[in-house]
Amino acid sequence: MDSQPEPVSYICGDCGAENTLKPGDVIQCRECGYRILYKKRTRRIVQYEAR
Amino acid sequence: MSETASLNMQDIPQGQLPEHIELQRARVFCKADAPVHTEDVEYSGAYAAVGFDNSLQVDDFRRDFRVEIKNLSMDDIEFDMIGIDASLANAFRRILIAEVPTMAIEKVLIVNNTSVMADEILSHRLGLLPIEADPRLFDFLSENDTPNERNTIVFKMEVHCKKRGPRLTVKSDQLKWLPNGSELLMESPNPSTKPRSFTSFSCSQASLPQISGRPIGMKHLDIIITQLGPGQSIELEAHAVKGTGKVHAKWSPVGTTWYRMLPEVKLLKEVRGNDAEKLVKKCPRKVFDVEDVGHAMKKAVVSRPRDCTLCRECISGAGEENIALRRVRDHFIFTVESTGALPAEVLFTEAVKILEEKCERVISELS
Amino acid sequence: MEHGSLTDSKNSTFCLMDEDHTLANSVRFLLNKDPRVEFCGYSIPHPSENKVNIRVQTTGDSAKDVLKESFQDLIFLCQHVRSTFEKSVADFKSTQSRQEMNGA
Repeated sequence: MDSQPEPVSYICGDCGAENTLKPGDVIQCRECGYRILYKKRTRRIVQYEAR
Repeated sequence: MSETASLNMQDIPQGQLPEHIELQRARVFCKADAPVHTEDVEYSGAYAAVGFDNSLQVDDFRRDFRVEIKNLSMDDIEFDMIGIDASLANAFRRILIAEVPTMAIEKVLIVNNTSVMADEILSHRLGLLPIEADPRLFDFLSENDTPNERNTIVFKMEVHCKKRGPRLTVKSDQLKWLPNGSELLMESPNPSTKPRSFTSFSCSQASLPQISGRPIGMKHLDIIITQLGPGQSIELEAHAVKGTGKVHAKWSPVGTTWYRMLPEVKLLKEVRGNDAEKLVKKCPRKVFDVEDVGHAMKKAVVSRPRDCTLCRECISGAGEENIALRRVRDHFIFTVESTGALPAEVLFTEAVKILEEKCERVISELS
Repeated sequence: MEHGSLTDSKNSTFCLMDEDHTLANSVRFLLNKDPRVEFCGYSIPHPSENKVNIRVQTTGDSAKDVLKESFQDLIFLCQHVRSTFEKSVADFKSTQSRQEMNGA
Protein backbone atom coordinates (compact mmCIF):
# COMPACT_ATOMS: atom_id res chain seq x y z
CA MET A 1 0.00 0.00 0.00
CA ASP A 2 1.46 3.35 -0.98
CA SER A 3 0.82 6.16 1.40
CA GLN A 4 -1.51 8.73 -0.20
CA PRO A 5 -0.05 9.60 -3.60
CA GLU A 6 -2.40 12.62 -3.63
CA PRO A 7 -1.84 15.23 -0.99
CA VAL A 8 -5.08 15.78 0.95
CA SER A 9 -6.47 19.29 1.31
CA TYR A 10 -7.94 20.49 4.58
CA ILE A 11 -9.95 23.59 5.36
CA CYS A 12 -8.82 26.06 8.00
CA GLY A 13 -11.27 26.58 10.82
CA ASP A 14 -10.67 30.32 10.97
CA CYS A 15 -10.11 31.78 7.52
CA GLY A 16 -11.53 28.93 5.40
CA ALA A 17 -8.47 28.66 3.19
CA GLU A 18 -7.52 25.33 1.68
CA ASN A 19 -4.26 23.80 2.85
CA THR A 20 -2.72 20.71 1.34
CA LEU A 21 -0.80 18.62 3.83
CA LYS A 22 1.39 15.56 3.55
CA PRO A 23 1.81 13.02 6.33
CA GLY A 24 4.35 14.38 8.75
CA ASP A 25 3.59 18.08 8.11
CA VAL A 26 2.96 20.45 10.99
CA ILE A 27 -0.76 20.96 11.46
CA GLN A 28 -1.16 24.67 10.92
CA CYS A 29 -2.94 26.89 8.44
CA ARG A 30 -0.47 28.39 5.96
CA GLU A 31 -2.22 31.74 5.87
CA CYS A 32 -3.34 32.55 9.38
CA GLY A 33 -1.62 30.04 11.60
CA TYR A 34 -4.79 28.55 13.09
CA ARG A 35 -4.14 25.04 14.29
CA ILE A 36 -7.57 23.48 13.77
CA LEU A 37 -8.11 22.10 10.27
CA TYR A 38 -11.24 20.31 9.00
CA LYS A 39 -11.32 17.55 6.46
CA LYS A 40 -13.27 18.17 3.25
CA ARG A 41 -16.53 16.41 2.39
CA THR A 42 -16.12 13.16 0.43
CA ARG A 43 -16.27 13.26 -3.35
CA ARG A 44 -18.30 10.06 -3.50
CA ILE A 45 -21.97 10.30 -4.39
CA VAL A 46 -24.08 9.49 -1.34
CA GLN A 47 -27.60 8.17 -1.84
CA TYR A 48 -30.43 8.93 0.55
CA GLU A 49 -34.05 7.81 0.70
CA ALA A 50 -36.35 10.81 0.85
CA ARG A 51 -38.29 9.49 3.85
CA MET B 1 -113.85 -8.62 17.81
CA SER B 2 -111.31 -9.73 15.22
CA GLU B 3 -107.78 -10.10 16.40
CA THR B 4 -105.52 -7.41 15.17
CA ALA B 5 -101.78 -7.88 15.15
CA SER B 6 -100.12 -5.47 17.50
CA LEU B 7 -98.11 -3.96 14.70
CA ASN B 8 -100.98 -3.64 12.29
CA MET B 9 -101.42 0.10 12.33
CA GLN B 10 -104.37 1.17 10.26
CA ASP B 11 -103.34 4.72 9.68
CA ILE B 12 -100.01 3.77 8.11
CA PRO B 13 -100.12 2.13 4.69
CA GLN B 14 -98.44 -1.24 4.45
CA GLY B 15 -94.86 -0.97 3.26
CA GLN B 16 -94.09 2.34 4.95
CA LEU B 17 -92.65 3.08 8.32
CA PRO B 18 -94.39 5.20 10.93
CA GLU B 19 -93.04 8.72 10.88
CA HIS B 20 -90.99 8.63 14.07
CA ILE B 21 -89.30 5.37 13.08
CA GLU B 22 -88.58 6.72 9.63
CA LEU B 23 -87.00 9.77 11.27
CA GLN B 24 -84.80 7.54 13.40
CA ARG B 25 -83.77 5.55 10.35
CA ALA B 26 -82.95 8.50 8.16
CA ARG B 27 -81.55 11.07 10.59
CA VAL B 28 -78.90 11.32 13.28
CA PHE B 29 -80.26 13.33 16.22
CA CYS B 30 -77.72 15.72 17.71
CA LYS B 31 -78.76 16.34 21.28
CA ALA B 32 -77.06 18.79 23.61
CA ASP B 33 -74.74 16.24 25.15
CA ALA B 34 -74.21 13.63 22.45
CA PRO B 35 -75.59 12.46 19.11
CA VAL B 36 -78.26 9.79 19.24
CA HIS B 37 -79.32 7.12 16.70
CA THR B 38 -75.90 7.21 15.07
CA GLU B 39 -75.91 3.59 13.98
CA ASP B 40 -77.16 2.80 10.52
CA VAL B 41 -80.01 0.33 10.46
CA GLU B 42 -78.55 -1.90 7.78
CA TYR B 43 -80.10 -5.29 8.32
CA SER B 44 -82.45 -6.02 5.47
CA GLY B 45 -85.03 -7.60 7.70
CA ALA B 46 -84.93 -4.97 10.43
CA TYR B 47 -88.46 -3.74 9.86
CA ALA B 48 -89.88 -7.03 8.60
CA ALA B 49 -92.60 -7.09 11.26
CA VAL B 50 -94.04 -3.87 9.86
CA GLY B 51 -93.72 -5.02 6.30
CA PHE B 52 -91.08 -2.46 5.32
CA ASP B 53 -88.31 -3.81 3.12
CA ASN B 54 -84.98 -2.41 4.27
CA SER B 55 -82.91 -4.23 1.66
CA LEU B 56 -80.90 -2.45 -0.99
CA GLN B 57 -82.33 -2.85 -4.44
CA VAL B 58 -79.85 -1.83 -7.07
CA ASP B 59 -82.56 -0.17 -9.13
CA ASP B 60 -83.65 1.92 -6.17
CA PHE B 61 -80.07 3.03 -5.73
CA ARG B 62 -79.81 3.93 -9.39
CA ARG B 63 -82.96 5.98 -9.15
CA ASP B 64 -82.20 7.76 -5.89
CA PHE B 65 -78.48 8.44 -6.13
CA ARG B 66 -77.56 12.02 -7.06
CA VAL B 67 -74.38 14.07 -7.21
CA GLU B 68 -74.47 17.85 -7.04
CA ILE B 69 -71.27 19.81 -7.59
CA LYS B 70 -71.14 22.95 -5.48
CA ASN B 71 -67.61 24.28 -6.10
CA LEU B 72 -65.04 23.26 -8.65
CA SER B 73 -61.61 24.76 -9.16
CA MET B 74 -58.26 23.54 -10.45
CA ASP B 75 -57.29 21.78 -7.26
CA ASP B 76 -60.41 21.69 -5.07
CA ILE B 77 -63.87 20.30 -5.41
CA GLU B 78 -66.87 20.37 -3.09
CA PHE B 79 -69.82 18.21 -4.03
CA ASP B 80 -72.85 16.52 -2.49
CA MET B 81 -73.52 12.80 -2.72
CA ILE B 82 -77.10 11.93 -1.93
CA GLY B 83 -78.42 8.42 -1.49
CA ILE B 84 -75.18 6.68 -0.55
CA ASP B 85 -74.15 5.08 2.71
CA ALA B 86 -71.43 6.14 5.13
CA SER B 87 -69.41 2.98 4.57
CA LEU B 88 -68.99 3.74 0.87
CA ALA B 89 -68.27 7.43 1.48
CA ASN B 90 -65.62 6.45 4.01
CA ALA B 91 -64.16 3.91 1.61
CA PHE B 92 -63.75 6.62 -1.02
CA ARG B 93 -62.15 8.94 1.53
CA ARG B 94 -59.70 6.27 2.68
CA ILE B 95 -58.76 5.38 -0.89
CA LEU B 96 -58.24 9.04 -1.79
CA ILE B 97 -55.84 9.53 1.08
CA ALA B 98 -53.91 6.27 0.94
CA GLU B 99 -54.29 4.35 -2.28
CA VAL B 100 -54.39 6.70 -5.26
CA PRO B 101 -50.81 6.73 -6.57
CA THR B 102 -48.68 9.83 -7.21
CA MET B 103 -45.10 10.65 -8.13
CA ALA B 104 -42.75 11.84 -5.42
CA ILE B 105 -38.98 12.04 -4.96
CA GLU B 106 -37.63 8.85 -3.44
CA LYS B 107 -33.87 8.67 -4.11
CA VAL B 108 -31.61 11.66 -3.61
CA LEU B 109 -28.01 11.40 -4.86
CA ILE B 110 -25.96 14.11 -3.23
CA VAL B 111 -22.73 15.08 -4.96
CA ASN B 112 -21.92 18.01 -2.75
CA ASN B 113 -23.64 19.68 0.19
CA THR B 114 -21.70 22.29 2.12
CA SER B 115 -24.81 23.96 3.55
CA VAL B 116 -25.77 23.88 7.22
CA MET B 117 -28.69 21.53 6.55
CA ALA B 118 -27.82 17.85 6.98
CA ASP B 119 -28.06 15.58 3.92
CA GLU B 120 -30.90 13.47 5.23
CA ILE B 121 -32.98 16.46 6.33
CA LEU B 122 -32.56 17.98 2.90
CA SER B 123 -33.57 14.69 1.27
CA HIS B 124 -36.63 14.43 3.51
CA ARG B 125 -37.75 17.92 2.49
CA LEU B 126 -37.25 17.13 -1.19
CA GLY B 127 -39.42 14.04 -0.82
CA LEU B 128 -42.36 16.10 0.37
CA LEU B 129 -42.39 18.47 -2.63
CA PRO B 130 -45.46 17.98 -4.87
CA ILE B 131 -44.56 17.10 -8.46
CA GLU B 132 -46.69 18.04 -11.45
CA ALA B 133 -46.72 14.76 -13.34
CA ASP B 134 -49.66 12.53 -14.22
CA PRO B 135 -49.01 9.31 -12.29
CA ARG B 136 -51.18 7.33 -14.70
CA LEU B 137 -48.50 7.71 -17.37
CA PHE B 138 -45.88 5.96 -15.25
CA ASP B 139 -45.35 2.45 -13.97
CA PHE B 140 -44.46 1.35 -10.49
CA LEU B 141 -40.78 0.73 -9.87
CA SER B 142 -40.12 -2.43 -7.92
CA GLU B 143 -36.82 -3.59 -6.47
CA ASN B 144 -35.80 -5.70 -9.44
CA ASP B 145 -36.61 -3.16 -12.13
CA THR B 146 -34.06 -0.83 -13.64
CA PRO B 147 -35.02 2.83 -13.48
CA ASN B 148 -36.00 3.91 -16.97
CA GLU B 149 -38.07 6.60 -18.62
CA ARG B 150 -41.32 4.73 -17.86
CA ASN B 151 -40.95 4.65 -14.11
CA THR B 152 -38.60 7.43 -12.99
CA ILE B 153 -38.48 11.21 -13.21
CA VAL B 154 -35.05 12.78 -12.69
CA PHE B 155 -34.47 16.26 -11.29
CA LYS B 156 -31.22 18.11 -10.76
CA MET B 157 -30.35 20.92 -8.38
CA GLU B 158 -27.13 22.92 -8.54
CA VAL B 159 -26.93 26.05 -6.43
CA HIS B 160 -24.00 28.03 -5.15
CA CYS B 161 -24.02 31.09 -2.96
CA LYS B 162 -21.28 33.55 -3.86
CA LYS B 163 -18.65 34.43 -1.29
CA ARG B 164 -19.03 37.99 -0.06
CA GLY B 165 -22.64 37.94 -1.29
CA PRO B 166 -25.93 37.91 0.59
CA ARG B 167 -27.61 34.74 1.84
CA LEU B 168 -29.34 32.73 -0.86
CA THR B 169 -32.77 31.14 -0.36
CA VAL B 170 -33.07 27.91 -2.32
CA LYS B 171 -36.62 27.53 -3.63
CA SER B 172 -38.23 24.62 -5.46
CA ASP B 173 -37.76 26.31 -8.84
CA GLN B 174 -34.07 25.32 -8.61
CA LEU B 175 -35.02 21.70 -9.27
CA LYS B 176 -34.63 21.28 -13.02
CA TRP B 177 -36.19 18.38 -14.87
CA LEU B 178 -33.76 16.15 -16.78
CA PRO B 179 -35.80 14.46 -19.51
CA ASN B 180 -32.80 12.38 -20.59
CA GLY B 181 -32.21 10.68 -17.29
CA SER B 182 -29.49 10.75 -14.73
CA GLU B 183 -26.19 12.50 -15.53
CA LEU B 184 -24.29 10.99 -12.66
CA LEU B 185 -22.18 7.91 -13.11
CA MET B 186 -21.97 5.00 -10.72
CA GLU B 187 -18.62 3.97 -9.36
CA SER B 188 -17.66 0.79 -11.11
CA PRO B 189 -15.40 -1.65 -9.26
CA ASN B 190 -13.53 -2.40 -12.49
CA PRO B 191 -11.83 0.77 -13.76
CA SER B 192 -11.60 -0.41 -17.36
CA THR B 193 -15.34 -0.94 -17.96
CA LYS B 194 -17.45 2.02 -19.03
CA PRO B 195 -19.14 3.55 -15.98
CA ARG B 196 -22.93 3.13 -15.91
CA SER B 197 -25.44 5.80 -15.15
CA PHE B 198 -27.90 5.47 -12.30
CA THR B 199 -30.80 5.32 -14.73
CA SER B 200 -31.09 3.77 -18.18
CA PHE B 201 -33.31 5.95 -20.29
CA SER B 202 -33.74 4.65 -23.81
CA CYS B 203 -35.30 7.85 -25.09
CA SER B 204 -35.94 11.35 -23.85
CA GLN B 205 -39.06 11.70 -21.73
CA ALA B 206 -39.88 14.96 -23.46
CA SER B 207 -40.34 13.06 -26.70
CA LEU B 208 -43.03 10.77 -25.27
CA PRO B 209 -46.33 11.96 -26.74
CA GLN B 210 -48.31 11.96 -23.53
CA ILE B 211 -45.74 14.04 -21.67
CA SER B 212 -44.87 16.54 -24.37
CA GLY B 213 -48.25 18.25 -24.01
CA ARG B 214 -47.85 18.85 -20.28
CA PRO B 215 -44.20 19.25 -19.28
CA ILE B 216 -43.08 17.80 -15.98
CA GLY B 217 -41.87 20.02 -13.17
CA MET B 218 -42.55 21.09 -9.63
CA LYS B 219 -46.14 22.05 -8.94
CA HIS B 220 -45.24 25.13 -6.87
CA LEU B 221 -42.09 27.06 -7.69
CA ASP B 222 -41.86 29.09 -4.51
CA ILE B 223 -41.47 26.45 -1.81
CA ILE B 224 -38.40 27.24 0.29
CA ILE B 225 -36.15 24.20 0.52
CA THR B 226 -33.17 25.59 2.40
CA GLN B 227 -30.91 28.61 2.73
CA LEU B 228 -27.24 28.96 1.78
CA GLY B 229 -24.64 31.17 3.37
CA PRO B 230 -21.74 32.72 1.42
CA GLY B 231 -19.48 30.13 -0.12
CA GLN B 232 -21.87 27.21 0.41
CA SER B 233 -23.22 25.08 -2.39
CA ILE B 234 -25.53 22.14 -3.03
CA GLU B 235 -25.32 19.78 -5.97
CA LEU B 236 -27.68 16.83 -6.13
CA GLU B 237 -29.90 14.69 -8.29
CA ALA B 238 -33.35 13.54 -7.21
CA HIS B 239 -35.22 10.56 -8.67
CA ALA B 240 -39.01 10.50 -8.36
CA VAL B 241 -41.01 7.28 -8.52
CA LYS B 242 -44.66 6.26 -8.29
CA GLY B 243 -46.04 5.24 -4.92
CA THR B 244 -49.14 5.27 -2.71
CA GLY B 245 -49.92 7.14 0.49
CA LYS B 246 -50.08 3.82 2.36
CA VAL B 247 -46.30 3.50 2.17
CA HIS B 248 -45.38 7.12 2.91
CA ALA B 249 -47.49 10.26 3.23
CA LYS B 250 -45.44 12.07 0.58
CA TRP B 251 -47.26 9.98 -2.04
CA SER B 252 -50.73 11.06 -0.89
CA PRO B 253 -52.41 12.98 -3.76
CA VAL B 254 -54.67 15.05 -1.51
CA GLY B 255 -53.75 17.76 0.95
CA THR B 256 -56.68 16.29 2.71
CA THR B 257 -60.19 15.15 1.92
CA TRP B 258 -63.16 15.00 4.22
CA TYR B 259 -66.92 14.61 4.26
CA ARG B 260 -69.70 15.66 6.57
CA MET B 261 -73.35 14.81 6.65
CA LEU B 262 -75.81 17.51 5.70
CA PRO B 263 -77.06 19.29 8.83
CA GLU B 264 -80.79 19.77 9.28
CA VAL B 265 -82.08 22.46 11.60
CA LYS B 266 -85.78 22.45 12.38
CA LEU B 267 -87.69 24.83 14.57
CA LEU B 268 -90.08 22.77 16.66
CA LYS B 269 -91.90 25.79 18.02
CA GLU B 270 -92.35 29.26 16.66
CA VAL B 271 -89.76 31.64 17.99
CA ARG B 272 -90.99 35.21 17.97
CA GLY B 273 -90.02 38.76 18.74
CA ASN B 274 -87.08 39.26 21.08
CA ASP B 275 -86.39 35.55 21.30
CA ALA B 276 -86.02 35.47 17.55
CA GLU B 277 -83.46 38.28 17.65
CA LYS B 278 -81.54 36.53 20.42
CA LEU B 279 -81.51 33.28 18.46
CA VAL B 280 -80.15 34.97 15.37
CA LYS B 281 -77.38 36.58 17.42
CA LYS B 282 -76.48 33.30 19.16
CA CYS B 283 -75.63 31.41 16.03
CA PRO B 284 -71.98 32.07 15.00
CA ARG B 285 -72.62 30.90 11.45
CA LYS B 286 -75.79 32.96 10.83
CA VAL B 287 -77.99 29.96 10.18
CA PHE B 288 -81.11 31.77 11.34
CA ASP B 289 -82.76 34.89 10.04
CA VAL B 290 -85.55 37.06 11.23
CA GLU B 291 -88.60 37.41 9.04
CA ASP B 292 -91.31 39.99 9.31
CA VAL B 293 -94.73 38.38 9.31
CA GLY B 294 -96.76 41.53 9.47
CA HIS B 295 -98.51 43.13 12.49
CA ALA B 296 -94.97 44.19 13.53
CA MET B 297 -94.29 40.57 14.43
CA LYS B 298 -90.93 38.99 13.83
CA LYS B 299 -90.34 35.28 13.46
CA ALA B 300 -87.15 33.25 13.28
CA VAL B 301 -86.57 31.09 10.22
CA VAL B 302 -83.81 28.72 9.25
CA SER B 303 -82.16 30.21 6.18
CA ARG B 304 -78.77 28.51 5.82
CA PRO B 305 -78.85 25.09 7.44
CA ARG B 306 -75.94 23.94 5.32
CA ASP B 307 -73.57 26.29 7.12
CA CYS B 308 -74.39 24.84 10.51
CA THR B 309 -71.36 23.38 12.26
CA LEU B 310 -73.47 21.84 15.05
CA CYS B 311 -71.82 23.95 17.72
CA ARG B 312 -75.09 23.56 19.65
CA GLU B 313 -75.07 27.18 20.80
CA CYS B 314 -78.72 27.51 19.84
CA ILE B 315 -79.84 24.60 22.01
CA SER B 316 -77.68 25.39 25.02
CA GLY B 317 -79.59 26.71 27.95
CA ALA B 318 -83.31 26.51 27.42
CA GLY B 319 -83.25 26.24 23.66
CA GLU B 320 -83.46 22.45 23.39
CA GLU B 321 -87.24 22.32 23.16
CA ASN B 322 -87.42 24.80 20.33
CA ILE B 323 -84.83 23.52 17.93
CA ALA B 324 -84.04 20.07 16.59
CA LEU B 325 -80.52 19.60 15.26
CA ARG B 326 -80.17 16.60 13.02
CA ARG B 327 -77.99 15.21 10.29
CA VAL B 328 -79.31 13.57 7.13
CA ARG B 329 -77.85 10.09 7.12
CA ASP B 330 -77.41 9.55 3.40
CA HIS B 331 -76.42 13.05 2.25
CA PHE B 332 -72.66 13.68 2.28
CA ILE B 333 -70.87 16.94 1.58
CA PHE B 334 -67.54 15.79 0.21
CA THR B 335 -64.53 18.08 -0.10
CA VAL B 336 -61.35 17.05 -1.91
CA GLU B 337 -58.26 19.28 -1.87
CA SER B 338 -55.69 18.02 -4.33
CA THR B 339 -51.95 18.77 -4.02
CA GLY B 340 -51.88 19.36 -7.76
CA ALA B 341 -50.67 16.23 -9.54
CA LEU B 342 -54.20 15.42 -10.70
CA PRO B 343 -57.27 17.68 -10.76
CA ALA B 344 -59.62 17.02 -7.88
CA GLU B 345 -62.45 15.55 -9.95
CA VAL B 346 -60.07 13.13 -11.67
CA LEU B 347 -58.82 12.04 -8.25
CA PHE B 348 -62.30 11.05 -7.12
CA THR B 349 -62.92 9.08 -10.30
CA GLU B 350 -59.60 7.29 -9.82
CA ALA B 351 -60.53 6.43 -6.23
CA VAL B 352 -63.82 4.85 -7.34
CA LYS B 353 -61.93 2.91 -10.03
CA ILE B 354 -59.53 1.59 -7.40
CA LEU B 355 -62.44 0.32 -5.27
CA GLU B 356 -63.82 -1.49 -8.33
CA GLU B 357 -60.42 -3.06 -8.97
CA LYS B 358 -60.24 -4.29 -5.38
CA CYS B 359 -63.64 -5.98 -5.75
CA GLU B 360 -62.64 -7.60 -9.03
CA ARG B 361 -59.47 -8.91 -7.48
CA VAL B 362 -61.40 -10.55 -4.66
CA ILE B 363 -63.98 -11.97 -7.05
CA SER B 364 -61.27 -13.60 -9.14
CA GLU B 365 -59.74 -15.03 -5.98
CA LEU B 366 -63.06 -16.44 -4.87
CA SER B 367 -63.76 -18.13 -8.18
CA MET C 1 -59.48 -18.27 1.61
CA GLU C 2 -62.70 -19.71 2.84
CA HIS C 3 -63.04 -21.49 6.16
CA GLY C 4 -66.32 -23.33 6.07
CA SER C 5 -67.71 -26.74 6.73
CA LEU C 6 -68.07 -29.32 3.98
CA THR C 7 -71.67 -30.09 4.76
CA ASP C 8 -72.95 -26.61 5.46
CA SER C 9 -72.29 -24.14 2.67
CA LYS C 10 -74.63 -21.58 4.19
CA ASN C 11 -72.24 -20.32 6.86
CA SER C 12 -68.56 -19.61 6.44
CA THR C 13 -65.78 -17.20 7.22
CA PHE C 14 -63.66 -15.70 4.47
CA CYS C 15 -60.14 -14.51 5.16
CA LEU C 16 -58.99 -11.79 2.76
CA MET C 17 -55.32 -10.85 2.56
CA ASP C 18 -54.03 -7.32 1.93
CA GLU C 19 -57.37 -5.73 2.75
CA ASP C 20 -58.56 -3.42 5.47
CA HIS C 21 -61.63 -1.49 6.58
CA THR C 22 -61.91 0.22 3.21
CA LEU C 23 -63.24 -2.81 1.36
CA ALA C 24 -64.52 -4.82 4.31
CA ASN C 25 -66.90 -2.21 5.70
CA SER C 26 -68.37 -1.51 2.26
CA VAL C 27 -69.01 -5.15 1.46
CA ARG C 28 -70.36 -5.77 4.95
CA PHE C 29 -72.90 -3.00 4.37
CA LEU C 30 -73.98 -4.54 1.08
CA LEU C 31 -74.18 -8.02 2.57
CA ASN C 32 -76.42 -6.76 5.34
CA LYS C 33 -78.76 -5.24 2.81
CA ASP C 34 -79.11 -8.58 0.99
CA PRO C 35 -82.32 -10.30 2.10
CA ARG C 36 -80.69 -13.73 1.87
CA VAL C 37 -78.18 -12.94 4.57
CA GLU C 38 -79.01 -13.86 8.13
CA PHE C 39 -75.81 -12.54 9.70
CA CYS C 40 -72.68 -10.86 8.50
CA GLY C 41 -69.76 -9.06 10.04
CA TYR C 42 -66.06 -8.47 9.65
CA SER C 43 -63.12 -8.30 12.00
CA ILE C 44 -59.44 -7.51 11.76
CA PRO C 45 -57.51 -10.02 13.88
CA HIS C 46 -54.52 -7.73 14.39
CA PRO C 47 -53.98 -4.20 13.10
CA SER C 48 -50.38 -4.88 12.12
CA GLU C 49 -51.41 -7.67 9.77
CA ASN C 50 -53.34 -6.87 6.61
CA LYS C 51 -55.96 -9.56 7.08
CA VAL C 52 -59.73 -9.29 7.27
CA ASN C 53 -62.16 -12.01 8.35
CA ILE C 54 -65.64 -11.72 6.86
CA ARG C 55 -68.31 -13.97 8.37
CA VAL C 56 -71.44 -14.68 6.30
CA GLN C 57 -74.43 -16.74 7.39
CA THR C 58 -77.27 -17.07 4.90
CA THR C 59 -80.82 -18.34 4.98
CA GLY C 60 -80.17 -21.07 2.42
CA ASP C 61 -77.87 -20.06 -0.41
CA SER C 62 -74.17 -20.80 -0.48
CA ALA C 63 -72.29 -18.15 1.44
CA LYS C 64 -69.61 -17.94 -1.25
CA ASP C 65 -72.17 -17.15 -3.94
CA VAL C 66 -73.85 -14.51 -1.81
CA LEU C 67 -70.48 -12.90 -1.12
CA LYS C 68 -69.54 -12.93 -4.78
CA GLU C 69 -72.82 -11.33 -5.72
CA SER C 70 -72.34 -8.64 -3.11
CA PHE C 71 -68.95 -7.80 -4.57
CA GLN C 72 -70.52 -7.61 -8.01
CA ASP C 73 -73.21 -5.32 -6.65
CA LEU C 74 -70.49 -3.17 -5.15
CA ILE C 75 -68.78 -2.94 -8.53
CA PHE C 76 -72.07 -1.91 -10.06
CA LEU C 77 -72.65 0.74 -7.38
CA CYS C 78 -69.16 2.13 -7.99
CA GLN C 79 -69.69 2.27 -11.72
CA HIS C 80 -72.94 4.12 -11.21
CA VAL C 81 -71.33 6.54 -8.77
CA ARG C 82 -68.56 7.21 -11.25
CA SER C 83 -70.85 7.83 -14.21
CA THR C 84 -73.18 10.07 -12.19
CA PHE C 85 -70.22 12.03 -10.86
CA GLU C 86 -68.62 12.49 -14.25
CA LYS C 87 -71.89 13.64 -15.74
CA SER C 88 -72.39 16.16 -12.93
CA VAL C 89 -68.87 17.50 -13.39
CA ALA C 90 -69.42 17.89 -17.13
CA ASP C 91 -72.73 19.68 -16.55
CA PHE C 92 -71.20 21.96 -13.95
CA LYS C 93 -68.27 22.85 -16.19
CA SER C 94 -70.53 23.64 -19.11
CA THR C 95 -72.79 25.88 -17.03
CA GLN C 96 -69.73 27.55 -15.57
CA SER C 97 -68.26 28.30 -18.99
CA ARG C 98 -71.65 29.52 -20.21
CA GLN C 99 -71.87 31.89 -17.26
CA GLU C 100 -68.38 33.16 -17.94
CA MET C 101 -69.24 33.80 -21.57
CA ASN C 102 -72.41 35.67 -20.62
CA GLY C 103 -70.63 37.71 -17.99
CA ALA C 104 -67.62 38.64 -20.08
